[in-house]
Amino acid sequence: MMNRNIQPTIVPVEELSILKPLIFDVTKDVRLLWMKAVPNDTVRLDLYFHAGITSGTESIPAIVHSLLLSGTATKTSLEINEEIDRLGGYIDTDISFETSVISIYALKEFILPIAHIVANAINGLNFEASELADTVRSLKQSFQENQQKVRYLAQQQFRKGLFASNEMYAQLANMSHFDNVNERVLKHYFQQNYLNGLTRMTLVGDLEQDQVDELIDLFGKWAVDVIPTPGSNFIPLAENVHVPFEGAVQSAIRLGKFLVPKNHPDYFDLQLLNTILGDYFGSRLMSNIREDKGYTYGIGSAIMDIRSTSYFVIMTEVGVEVRDAALAEIKLEIERLQTELVEEQELTLVKNYVSGQLLKSADGPYALLDLYNSVDLYGVSISYYEEALARIQKITPQRLKDLAVQYLKWEDFFIVTAG
Amino acid sequence: MIEFNRFKLPNGLTVIHHQDLTTPMAVINVLYDVGARDESEDKTGFAHLFEHLMFGGSVNIPDFDAPLQNAGGESNAFTSNDITNYYDIVPVANIETALWLESDRMLSLAFTEKSLETQRSVVIEEFKQRYLNQPYGDVWLELRPLAYTEHPYKWATIGKNIEQIEQAEMKDVKAFFKKHYHPGNAILCIASKLTLEEVNQLATKWFGDIPAQEKAIRKLPAEPKQIAFKEKTIERQVPSNAVYYAFKMVDRKHADYYTTDLISDALGREKSSRLYQQLRKELKLVTRISAYITGSNDEGLFVIEAKLADGISFETVDEAIWKVLEQFSATHLDSVETDKLKNKIRTAKAFQEQGLLNRAMNLSLFELLGDANGINLEQAAYQAITADHIQAVSQVLFKKENCSLLRVKAIPA
Repeated sequence: MMNRNIQPTIVPVEELSILKPLIFDVTKDVRLLWMKAVPNDTVRLDLYFHAGITSGTESIPAIVHSLLLSGTATKTSLEINEEIDRLGGYIDTDISFETSVISIYALKEFILPIAHIVANAINGLNFEASELADTVRSLKQSFQENQQKVRYLAQQQFRKGLFASNEMYAQLANMSHFDNVNERVLKHYFQQNYLNGLTRMTLVGDLEQDQVDELIDLFGKWAVDVIPTPGSNFIPLAENVHVPFEGAVQSAIRLGKFLVPKNHPDYFDLQLLNTILGDYFGSRLMSNIREDKGYTYGIGSAIMDIRSTSYFVIMTEVGVEVRDAALAEIKLEIERLQTELVEEQELTLVKNYVSGQLLKSADGPYALLDLYNSVDLYGVSISYYEEALARIQKITPQRLKDLAVQYLKWEDFFIVTAG
Repeated sequence: MIEFNRFKLPNGLTVIHHQDLTTPMAVINVLYDVGARDESEDKTGFAHLFEHLMFGGSVNIPDFDAPLQNAGGESNAFTSNDITNYYDIVPVANIETALWLESDRMLSLAFTEKSLETQRSVVIEEFKQRYLNQPYGDVWLELRPLAYTEHPYKWATIGKNIEQIEQAEMKDVKAFFKKHYHPGNAILCIASKLTLEEVNQLATKWFGDIPAQEKAIRKLPAEPKQIAFKEKTIERQVPSNAVYYAFKMVDRKHADYYTTDLISDALGREKSSRLYQQLRKELKLVTRISAYITGSNDEGLFVIEAKLADGISFETVDEAIWKVLEQFSATHLDSVETDKLKNKIRTAKAFQEQGLLNRAMNLSLFELLGDANGINLEQAAYQAITADHIQAVSQVLFKKENCSLLRVKAIPA
């Protein structure tokens, strides 16, 4: 009979095998990253544009982003979508803070014809009036729906407050943005940020070199002349904001502050500190606020990268009656990091956990490309991951305590509650 | 083609071995043949609450998560109306930690009052977050009891209401475990670079000594055939009116299942689908519209949902939806349209099969349906669908008396 009280011996992760993508210069600033070793027929092509929500005013980035496949002088949106669907393609478009991405998912045999359809649709985009009206109706509906979600309200006010010193980064969507949309302004933005706004291409798929060259020819002409400078030097603001919401049964909480850019010497170790506090199921925030108190379904923290820096954020939704109690526990957990050394047992666990997750993040061509992008997008070399296992092992309890004291001062936090 | 091997331990546990030589990870997927449909009507939400308790420590191990994290792994689970599925992803060198944990919680739980009390609160917060505290969040709490009168699909996995979760007691928890959590009621899939022999040895070592138990025979109340159209209107503080048309459809093993799925794609999956094209693009009656199936093991639902554009009446949208459905059922799809739908499925399947976890989960799901190899037959089943069959299935599906309609009427805050 085996002894079930003892855990089987743990073997540490000793090596990450990080396969790098092939890199081609599209222009001086714009590159294509290609992960070729794919053991099946799937292909993913991502086109990155300088067209995030901070790249324009009055929700114009969001409106244009939604219109990308809405028709040309010779084809309606329906015809474009129909053609892509017939080839079994999936198009996914995403707009984030500083970037917008168009992704094509397809089988190898169809990737080029689909890429041509997408390229023609975007080259010829003609902002047809009824398509514009349809898009605006739909965005307005989503906007109104979001206004009834405490999570969304908290997230918006958090952004507004955190980035208060930069008008473009702090602006929020507003109902009036969907009323008098100026077509000329849309066209101008589109011309600047898409037809002249491509910042990166990434490709996963077992294609031939001439097919890749064709993709570069097809989309390379949209490359930006120079990658625009992102917002930077944000002035921190530490305030408490409450957004009331009648009838809410849960309050959303968001709090955070700026940290350092990804290439800063403290960044790597701050990630481990973040994991301990709130970035895995056994984290201190989860253990205390969910697993001990039962205040929430979930709580987490994250370090969010933006081009010039990063910020730290804690996010949760808790019962309205325990909102203040939850905030007090969050504060307590941060203070514990500043006053007590993390015990060896917990630190070893987190180091092992993070090492195992790194192994997973490097498993297969899709994961590897995402891993590579996650540093390369911020100007950091892949050695960040190649050296990660060794760097993790060097982090000491004292180092974590020092980082918590330096970077997680409670009085520096911008705190939003909604509901 | 997804290769696998399958064997049964003497205690009744089904084990599926799937080998992938390229991955440094291992997935351990444990599917229990129990879901919200196995609950009694006065104790709903129990299967899901129980899933939470499975992380609260087992008979020999006080904490589930910490040892797994220590081994570089992570874990999660989900409950549906049909099943409860647990999985662990761990570096393959540490696979034994995951097997140790999974086998110990199959053997027996710790059953602490503290764990029950906390997870009751956590699940109540989950209920609020997902179903109460956002616009349209409670639609499925209303739609299920409208569509089903007898079958336990009439309640949602989260439970009918918060009160029933609050009332869950330790004796219910123990009885639930005893009845549903044993080797004969589970399917274990191990996906990694390990060989069949290695997996056989490991499964026997960790799960072999768990006592066998008779599998309970499921006797669910059958849903009577729906013979009349049902409708209900609820008023909510939401930004716009919405409609949900739910048609009764066949069960998961029925020959018409894949055809029904393809019909939902044709009508409302993509931007070139019929409902999207006609109601949103041409007639401008809706800001959002889609069609999908619930994919349940027993008779499921085919759902069309839409958000109405400002100033458009329920009647106008109703008329337009029925017109599209009538046209669809009355005419043959041409080969261009059927080929399009099939090509989309080819791509979707190829991407699904990329992930190790997906493969392990789907092998387990198909094994529950009778044969893990079903995963390899699915594509051919879709590709073999004919326009004749699509039409025949549509004509049965889209009868008015087969439909339950829920309207959400927007009222000012």
